[in-house]
Amino acid sequence: MKVEEIDVNRQIGRIGEILNAREKKRGILIQALQQIQAALGYLPEESVQELSKKLNLSMSEIFSVASFYRMFYFKPRGKKILKVCLGTACYVRGSKNVLNALEQEFNIKSGETTEDLALTLETVGCVGCCGLAPVTTMNENVMGEITGSGKLKAIIQSIRE
Amino acid sequence: MEKLVKLQIDGKEVHAPAGMNLIDAGHLADVFIPNLCYLKGMKGFGACRLCLVEVEGMKSPVIACNTKVREGMVVHTQTEKVRDIRRFILDLILAIHPLDCMTCTKAGICKLQEYAYEYELKGTSFTRKKMGYPIDQINPFIRRDPEYCILCGRCVRVCKEQGTNVLDFIGRGINAEIGTAYNKSLRESGCTFCGSCIDACPVNALPEADRWRKGREWEYKKIQSVCLLCGSGCDILVSVKDGSIQKINTGEKPGSAKKYICAYGRFGYDCIEERTKLVSPLKRVKGELRETTWKDALSIVAGKLKDAGKNTGFISTAGIMNEDALALKKFAKNVVKTKNFDTTLSLYSDVHSLRDSQSALITNSDLLVLVGLNPSQWNRVLPALDASIRKRVNRGGKLIVMNSSDTRIEEAAMLSLKGDELQILKGVAKALIDRGLKADKQLKTAVRDAEITEDMEKAAKLIAEADRPILFTSPSLFDAAANISLIKGRVIAVGLESNARGIALAGLSTEGKTYKEMVNDRMKVLYAVGEVPLTSRPAADFLVVQTSHFTDLAEQADIVLPSTTSFETEGTMIDYLGRLKHINQVIEPMGLTKSHRDILIALSKIIKPAIKKPTDAEIKKMSKGKQKLAFSPFVRKEGFDISPHEFIEAVNASVLKGRRLSWLKEALAAVAV
Repeated sequence: MKVEEIDVNRQIGRIGEILNAREKKRGILIQALQQIQAALGYLPEESVQELSKKLNLSMSEIFSVASFYRMFYFKPRGKKILKVCLGTACYVRGSKNVLNALEQEFNIKSGETTEDLALTLETVGCVGCCGLAPVTTMNENVMGEITGSGKLKAIIQSIRE
Repeated sequence: MEKLVKLQIDGKEVHAPAGMNLIDAGHLADVFIPNLCYLKGMKGFGACRLCLVEVEGMKSPVIACNTKVREGMVVHTQTEKVRDIRRFILDLILAIHPLDCMTCTKAGICKLQEYAYEYELKGTSFTRKKMGYPIDQINPFIRRDPEYCILCGRCVRVCKEQGTNVLDFIGRGINAEIGTAYNKSLRESGCTFCGSCIDACPVNALPEADRWRKGREWEYKKIQSVCLLCGSGCDILVSVKDGSIQKINTGEKPGSAKKYICAYGRFGYDCIEERTKLVSPLKRVKGELRETTWKDALSIVAGKLKDAGKNTGFISTAGIMNEDALALKKFAKNVVKTKNFDTTLSLYSDVHSLRDSQSALITNSDLLVLVGLNPSQWNRVLPALDASIRKRVNRGGKLIVMNSSDTRIEEAAMLSLKGDELQILKGVAKALIDRGLKADKQLKTAVRDAEITEDMEKAAKLIAEADRPILFTSPSLFDAAANISLIKGRVIAVGLESNARGIALAGLSTEGKTYKEMVNDRMKVLYAVGEVPLTSRPAADFLVVQTSHFTDLAEQADIVLPSTTSFETEGTMIDYLGRLKHINQVIEPMGLTKSHRDILIALSKIIKPAIKKPTDAEIKKMSKGKQKLAFSPFVRKEGFDISPHEFIEAVNASVLKGRRLSWLKEALAAVAV
C-alpha cells in the first residue's frame, strides 16, 4: 500500500468539481484510511504520517477522526479475527464458556491480539442468527452451535495452523 | 462603519454590530452569559451548552455563542428554565470531575468552580465516575491530567488555530477524551510547549507542570510586561509572589490573534534563579575573575575608557531597552568620545530597513505576504509571528509566501512562490502595474522587462483585491519589498531581536567601526553590553562585559559588570509592528545588579561630562520614525546571511541553558532521532 499513490482527484469523483483543493483533501480522508486499513489490516503510524503530509491534515486531526469510528484499528490485527457473540440468545446457550476457553487457550483477553498475530479475539452484541446460538464468527464466516468441545477444538486447530 | 442592530438582553437595550454573537453582545450591556467553551474572537463552538438563553418567539432555548444578533430580538439569560438547564449540565460535568477544590491549583480561576458556586452545586446528584486516565507529566512544562478535563475543547481549538496541531478530541461518547495522535505524550507528539493550552484551559486539566503549591491565584501580583527574547516582542503577564516570579502567561487581551507566547517566553524566567546569574562586579586578578565592589570596578573601567578614548569600541545586542540604547549612544559619543558603537543588529540588517519599516496590525489585515522570511514555532524563530499569521489565516485572512527555500509556514498559504525573491517581487510589481495600479516612473522602468509567471499574476490579483495587505520581509529584502508597498499595502521589516526597531530608531549604529570590525580589530578597550553572541575573546587589549549572566564572553573578560534582566528593570521597547511598549519591572534587582543605563550614568559621573537618564519625551520623540519610502532598486542587501535560528539561540544562551529550557532541546532532539 503506497499512500502516495492515492489520487485525490480521482477518488473524490465528480463532486470535486465544486470543491477547492483543501476541501477535496479533507473529503477523501475516511476513504483513504479505509484503503490503508484494507491493505495493511490496521492504520500504522507511518502510513498515517504519510497521509498527513499528503492531505495537509495534522496527525492529531486524522487520529481524531479515525478514533471516532469503531472500524479503524491502530494496532496490528490477527490473521484470524474471532468475534464471540455475547447477545442474549448466545449468552444463555453458553457463549461465555466459548469466550473463556479461547481466552485461556491463547492467553489473551477479549479485544487483544496474540503476539504471533495469529488471532484477534473480540466480542460482538448480536450477529443476527440467534437460531444458531452460540455463534462465533471467524473473519467473514459464521460458525454456529459451538456446544461440544469438538467444534471448539476444530476452531482452535484452524487458528494454530 | 458596521451596521448596528438593536436588541434587548435582560431588559437592557443593546446596539450591537450585525453578525455579533449573543455572548459578545451581552458584554456590551454588562450581561455575562455563562460559558465554559467560548473563546472570544473565535467562532462559537457549542460544546458546553452552558450559554443557553431564551429568545422570545423561539420554541426552545438557543446557545448564545453561536446565535447572531437580530433586529428586535428579545433575549432572557436568567430565566428559571435556562438556569435549570445550566444546573443540570453542571451536575453532569461534576459527575466526572474531581471535587478537590480545596487543594486544586486552579482554585480561584476555575470556571467550573465559579459556576458551581453561582448555581449552588456542592456536588453531583449522579453516580460519580472516575475515568482513570493516565497523567502526562514527562515534560517540565505542561501537566496534562485528563481526569479534570471537561471536554470543552478550548485547548484543541487554540492549538489548531495557531497551527501547532497537537491536541484533538479522541474517541467518542463517554470514552471521548482530549489527546494526541496515537495517544503519545506531549513530548513525542510534536508539541512545542508554548503553553497556549494552559491559558485556554478553564479547569485544572492543563496547568503548568510546576504550579502545584506555588501559591494560589489570588495571592499573585500580576504585572504586564514584554518578553525580550526574540524579534516577536510578545506581551506577557507575570505573576509574582514573595518577590519572585511564579508563572508567566500571555499578556495579550483575550481574543487577540496575537495571544501567544512560546516556551522561551513562558518558561525561560527561571534563568534569573540560575547559578550563572551575576550578582556582583568581577575583576580579573592574577588570571582569575574575583568579586569586587562597584566603586572599584567602575573606577578601573573609567580609567581604561579615559585612556583609550576614541580607540574604545562599544558592542551591544539589540535586545536592550530604548533607555539603555540612548544612554549607550550618549555615553559613547559624548563621554568616551568614540565613534565606534554598534549592535548585533548590523549582523542581520541595515539601520534604514528597520527604521523606515511601517506600522500595521495583523488583526486588521486581510492579506499577509511573507518575503524571504521563515518564521517557525518549531525552531522558535519569530514563533509568535508564525502563530499570529496562522491564526489570521484561520480567521479568514490570506497568506502568500515568497521564499527561495522551503518553509513550513507555506502549508498555511494560499499561494507559495518559490524562487529568487527579487525576481518574484519584480514580476508581481509589474503584474500589479499591468492591472492598472498606479506606480511612479522609476518603478515602472525598473520592472519593464520582468517576467510574469502564472503564480506572480495570481499573487498580484490577491494583492490588488485585498483591502489592507501587509508585506513582512527580512531586512535584506526590505527595499525591494517596499517597492510593492509603494503600489499597494504596507511593508514591515522583521528583525531577529526584540528591540531591533528601537535600536534603529535610537540611531545606535556606528559612525566608525562596525560590530564585526570591533570584534576582529585590536581595540584598546572593547565594551560589550548585553548577551553579545561571542564565545571566544575578541582581539581587544581590555575587555569589559556588562551582562546579566556569566556568559562565555564574560568568562574571557577583564571586568564583568552585572546588569539587570528585563524582569528587574523598567523601560520601553518598540516591536516589529512599530508599537512602543512599556516593560514593567516585576521583581527587585538581584544582588548588586544595576540597569545598563544606570551603570553607564555612574561611569559618566566619573569620566565627565555626566549624562542624564533618557526622559519619556526623548523616547517618544525617537519612537516616531520618518517612514517616507521612495523607490529603490530591486537588490538584496549583502552580508546579512546568518542563520536566524542559531543567532537567536546564541543571544539567549544563558536563558536556554536554564534547567527547563535545556530539556526542551535535548528531549526534542532525542525524539527527532
